[in-house]
Amino acid sequence: MAMAPDMLFNLRNNFYLGAYQAAINNSDVPNLSEDDAIERDCLVYRSYIALGSYQLVINEVDSSAATPLQAVKLLALYLFSPDNKVNTIRHDKEHLVKQESTISSIREWLGDAAIGNNPILRLIAGTIFMHEQDYHEALKYTNDGRTMELYALNVHIFLKMNRSDCAEKQLRVMQQIDEDHTLTQLATAWVNLAVGGSKVQEAYLIFQDFSEKYQMTSLILNGKAVCCMHMGNFDEAESFLLEALNKDAKDQETLANLVVCCLHLGKHSARFLSQLKLSDPEHMLVKQGLSAEESFDRAIQTVG
Amino acid sequence: MLTKFETKSNRVKGLSFHSKRPWILASLHSGVIQLWDYRMGTLIDRFDEHDGPVRGVHFHQSQPLFVSGGDDYKIKVWNYKLHRCLFTLLGHLDYIRTVQFHHENPWIVSASDDQTIRIWNWQSRTCISVLTGHNHYVMCALFHPKEDLVVSASLDQTVRVWDIGSLKKKTVSPADDILRLSQMNADFFGGVDAVVKYVLEGHDRGVNWASFHPTLPLIVSGADDRQVKIWRMNDAKAWEVDTLRGHMNNVSCVLFHSRQDIIVSNSEDKSIRVWDATKRTGLQTFRREHDRFWILGCHPEMNLLAAGHDSGMIVFKLERERPAFSVSGDSLYFVKDRFLRFYEYSSQKDTQILPIRRPGSNSLNQGPRTLSYSPTENAILICSDVDGGSYELYIIPKESITRGDTVQDAKRGVGGSAVFVARNRFAVLEKSTNQVLVKNLKNEIVKKSALPVAADAIFYAGNLLCRAEDRVYIFDLQQRLVLGDLQASFVRYVVWSSDMESVALLSKHSIIIADKKLVHRCTLHETIRVKSGSWDDNGVFIYTTLTHIKYCLPNGDSGIIKTLDTPVYITKIFGNTIFCLDRDGKNRPIAIDSTEYIFKLSLLKKRYDHVMSMIRNSELCGQAMISYLQQKGFPEVALHFVKDERTRFNLALESGNIQIAVASAKEIDEKDHWYRLGVEALRQGNSGIVEYAYQRTKNFERLSFLYLITGNLDKLSKMMKIAEVKNDVMGQFHNALYLGDVQERIKILVNAGHLPLAYATAKTHGLNDVVEDLAEKLQGNIPNLPSRSSSLLIPPTPVLCGGDWPLLRVMKGIFEGGLDNVGKGGNEEYEDAGDADWGEDLDIVDGENIQNGDISMALDDEGAPEEENEEGGWDLEDLELPA
Repeated sequence: MAMAPDMLFNLRNNFYLGAYQAAINNSDVPNLSEDDAIERDCLVYRSYIALGSYQLVINEVDSSAATPLQAVKLLALYLFSPDNKVNTIRHDKEHLVKQESTISSIREWLGDAAIGNNPILRLIAGTIFMHEQDYHEALKYTNDGRTMELYALNVHIFLKMNRSDCAEKQLRVMQQIDEDHTLTQLATAWVNLAVGGSKVQEAYLIFQDFSEKYQMTSLILNGKAVCCMHMGNFDEAESFLLEALNKDAKDQETLANLVVCCLHLGKHSARFLSQLKLSDPEHMLVKQGLSAEESFDRAIQTVG
Repeated sequence: MLTKFETKSNRVKGLSFHSKRPWILASLHSGVIQLWDYRMGTLIDRFDEHDGPVRGVHFHQSQPLFVSGGDDYKIKVWNYKLHRCLFTLLGHLDYIRTVQFHHENPWIVSASDDQTIRIWNWQSRTCISVLTGHNHYVMCALFHPKEDLVVSASLDQTVRVWDIGSLKKKTVSPADDILRLSQMNADFFGGVDAVVKYVLEGHDRGVNWASFHPTLPLIVSGADDRQVKIWRMNDAKAWEVDTLRGHMNNVSCVLFHSRQDIIVSNSEDKSIRVWDATKRTGLQTFRREHDRFWILGCHPEMNLLAAGHDSGMIVFKLERERPAFSVSGDSLYFVKDRFLRFYEYSSQKDTQILPIRRPGSNSLNQGPRTLSYSPTENAILICSDVDGGSYELYIIPKESITRGDTVQDAKRGVGGSAVFVARNRFAVLEKSTNQVLVKNLKNEIVKKSALPVAADAIFYAGNLLCRAEDRVYIFDLQQRLVLGDLQASFVRYVVWSSDMESVALLSKHSIIIADKKLVHRCTLHETIRVKSGSWDDNGVFIYTTLTHIKYCLPNGDSGIIKTLDTPVYITKIFGNTIFCLDRDGKNRPIAIDSTEYIFKLSLLKKRYDHVMSMIRNSELCGQAMISYLQQKGFPEVALHFVKDERTRFNLALESGNIQIAVASAKEIDEKDHWYRLGVEALRQGNSGIVEYAYQRTKNFERLSFLYLITGNLDKLSKMMKIAEVKNDVMGQFHNALYLGDVQERIKILVNAGHLPLAYATAKTHGLNDVVEDLAEKLQGNIPNLPSRSSSLLIPPTPVLCGGDWPLLRVMKGIFEGGLDNVGKGGNEEYEDAGDADWGEDLDIVDGENIQNGDISMALDDEGAPEEENEEGGWDLEDLELPA
């Protein structure tokens, strides 16, 4: 058991729980070792990425920075599109080209024996391939695990692949390492939600614990709301979601969940949906909705 | 052993607890009887009339009396209220060993080395019976607590039980016993009205002590054969039941505990031993280094014991009486006997939840000490001292509460202390390695964490509050960091406010209030033990000591709310109701008057609207409150509680409330007070009041000067006239000077015979005709005046005349206007003052100061009347002039 004080605990925790600004604000931890300082910087830049400040990361990380930081920069480059997703074909193309080049450079780095094993690099690779929805490719790099974040990413990927059995296995590994770790708890909640049934209650308790112990974030509120929806308490879910909306009016997950929640409550959801369409046209809910509409139109046409 | 109080003195031979008050009597080998308050630890009184050792002493149950017996063969009955011996009972022919009051009859039983036991009537002050039969010193004789029996122990190696039933008959009125057969029989058979019922033989040496069981037909005895014997009796016979061996020397005293199923004995082997009365095994031994024990005392109602030894005595308890409890929202979980119970505050319902393991009876004080509850998981952690510190984890069944007796198979473990740190995690302190083990509800270790500073106990703190030798610190198990740290000597209990922002650390004699990072806020010291506490919704910490319920405000101010007869443990506070657990494990709501501390809190928090309404609506008064308010800088508030005029005056000045000061000054009407009023009014610029104050004290010089600087020329000239009437030349001159009235000045100088000066004045002012007049009068002695032209001293014409200056804004602050109508009606009077219309109040001239003739002359000369009808002025007519 490592007995030295864990200086980065709060920073990490804030990042995991989605309190990105708090993570950035409290990142000035004195007397860090070199490794810790790099980890700190990674967390801070990843927080900026989460907040959408890609350019800042791209500008601040120069070529002399350590591998993990370079990896983080790659993620920023991957996610960055200059006109903030204006749907013109030209930009799309340009963007795609850029993304292609980031992917190829990450492949190149992963192939490099000297740095290919860096956990952050692998984590970023996993993240990028998840965005590409290429789960097999993502697992190629993350499957080894070794850090809590990688394990947690694995759980996430498995759940995306609808392989909750594998996710549970991976979770057990995490529990053996540190059952009380924030990521273990979060992963437990995800798996519980995926499994459903009586497990939802446990997931709810985990989010409840988080909300009692730490700063309330929209991630925690959404977690609670989703649990409530699973348990059929849509009124309660709505109040959590509205609280989350107060914190961040543009948060896509909050909006998506609100749409679902309102549908169940029989309330008007159109505005939330159009808000969601504006802020994230690529969101799964939007896409599914569109494709459903298309199918419907097609069906009408065949009938007509 | 939990020692509550200890004295150092000569050898203690006799002890007696008072049944109601926290008092104990100790009779010493030196002949002195001491009366101690064992709660405060003070010697209340000493009684020194016996000659030689006093071996027996006993309090009366209800009267302010006690009895003592000594080696001077005397039995003395004392009244402790009167601090004196009421009378002495004589009759014994040798040392007296023990004395005891009967619980209802006016009797005293005494045992003596003259081999007899005597029963006395302390009302008629006669010996009513002599019990003979022992053929050696009788070491002890005691009444049965209920029946008509006496037990005695003697160096003749026997214990005897005496039937004194007939003695009782003898005391009932003779009319009830018409034939007086018993009397006749008794007389006929030699005056025996107390007969030996049983003789208990079995000890091999002299028996030093024998006493009855409080409820069962049992006797316990201790002897020089180092044994303690238990005897049982029925109507027909008595027999030996068992022998307790273990003492290494003479057993000096032995008794059944009044509230627990144990026997306590002490001995010249310097030890006190505690025995299980049912299993008849030794439970515990307490040894002293050098002191032989001589006597034991047992409190008739409380769980207290006392023991006298060679160099003093100790008052002690064998077991803790504080119930382990934990508050969670509306519910309280606590342990009573061997059950976990649940109390709901809202309904005041008390329910038994589940049986817990009976504390091992192989040793004392193994009961639950602390309790920790996890509401989500409905789990309870109970810590005790079993095996040097251990915990048990119970899960409260969700289904209906079990009434059964089957003890759940609890999960156990060894550890200094254990508390829940999260919903399904608890921390256990492993003292040997100074580690904290975090366990889950399956009692499996999830994590281990070494503590940075050696700790001997842990408490809940959101994280973990650890107690080290002379400090407490908050340790974050996840960051493995010390978050806060505070110097605090041996903290016993930790009480968090419901928002977890404030914490109270309770030590034996002090309370430290700190915030969640353990930043010190204030420390309170108590002279007697602090027992418990809880936060009320306003952030006031309410706590109990042995004798009081008290409060502590956030700034450290504290005070008494209520006195207590018996100690209680506060569990929760709802408004004016304090919920407590008492030592019997009963929940009691106690209604309190929170006015005082809420008032002080409102002041502290500057909630002045509250303060106002409280002043209006509640009975707040008393010197303490006044001085508190003064001390805290709220004299204006105190003003409204005070009736005493002098205090009112002082407070009014302090707070600058001039109206009330005027009203009080009028009531008091003393020079000094007027003067001080003037000073304050001047400071505030209220010239009307200044004028009034000066007038009241007849301070003419100041008054003149006031008129000068306020430009009130009319009054100034009146002052000049008054000075003239008073024959005060200097005053007259000053006033003339102030007025710039040169003619008048010259006149005054002439009248005073200072012709050269008058001449000089006239000359400089260029009053040529007057100059000539004077030159004549001077007859050539004309002073030489410097020819240099000079500016003349003429006071400027006042721009504005009379009235107040812009008034200094007095910080009535918060209470602006609001309180004035509460105070006396000083207002209207003040309005008058503004007009300076003091006519009838003024008697400017004292008869004594003035020579008769002069006044009338002066007045005649002046022709003052022309000014009389001036409005607003004060009239010379009103001067009380001697005829």
